[in-house]
Amino acid sequence: MIFWTTLLIIHGLLALALLGAVTHQTAALWWPVRAPAGSFVTRFRAVPGTSYVTAVIVLYIITFIMGAWIYTQYRFTSRLALEQLRFFKTVGAFELKEHVATIGLLLLPAYWAFWRAPLNPDPRARKQVTLLLAILVWASFLIGHITNNARGMGS
Amino acid sequence: MATDKVPTFALMFGVICAVLYVVCTEVNLPLVTYHPVIGEIDWLYQPPRRGPTMYWYGWMLTSAIGAVPLALLATAVPEPWLQRALTFACVLAVAYLAVSTLALWVYDNATVELEFLKWRWPSLAAAVIVAAIATAIAPAAWNKRLWHGWIWLVPVGALGVLAYYLTPYFTR
Repeated sequence: MIFWTTLLIIHGLLALALLGAVTHQTAALWWPVRAPAGSFVTRFRAVPGTSYVTAVIVLYIITFIMGAWIYTQYRFTSRLALEQLRFFKTVGAFELKEHVATIGLLLLPAYWAFWRAPLNPDPRARKQVTLLLAILVWASFLIGHITNNARGMGS
Repeated sequence: MATDKVPTFALMFGVICAVLYVVCTEVNLPLVTYHPVIGEIDWLYQPPRRGPTMYWYGWMLTSAIGAVPLALLATAVPEPWLQRALTFACVLAVAYLAVSTLALWVYDNATVELEFLKWRWPSLAAAVIVAAIATAIAPAAWNKRLWHGWIWLVPVGALGVLAYYLTPYFTR
């Protein structure tokens, strides 16, 4: 169990880094700073979005692979326990997470293409795909967190 | 591939892969089946041998393998044609959903037995007509270039369908 718990912790930390990167980038893209940075929130929005692209893609792929690996253990341990405990909503939410994570993965080529240099002067496609990716990452993170609370580390 | 074809390939890959993933999930078309308890992988769909089976990896592989050649093919098609094809397909999907839902609602509430309302092909035929009309009357400006918004609209729609099929988990 130590092995899987360690993997789960690393998966969670990578997910947290991905969440931070994609949220930073989305905030900077949708809510750009017009005046010099002052407050914490303004500085949060003042990052150059382009510098996050590679990090987001690499973090997404690594986090996804680790999640897919841990999923094999979840399928015949935690999930069976959740079903026996009749935690069907939690099981359903995790089923949704597998789809959410897959949809996010298949968005990555478009995300990369729309952020590729030289940037298209029309930012709409870039804004749409980045926002959707951020929403999917947030959804995956929250569902994973809820599932872990129901039947994860230490249970 | 020409440089300007890269966004087209990426967009079409995302759109096609999302649709194929929904089809693979609902029809159960995995390229491989994984048996986590015994750690073995089989080709295509296989029933459980010992413990549960996992088809998710197989669905992703099937949809990706299907989407790559189709997206490559799409880069050779003029943008106005792609735009028309995507408009037709999206209107078709929404129209089929609306018409079949309406037909089933009428069937459930009718005082006489209207068996034909349960058939799929009349709904599909009606949806094809609606989609053809919508594509034909779409403004010329709409069909001029490939709309980049497909990259969020189709995956969100796909996710909506996938979430709908999971509702039994939330209503038990």
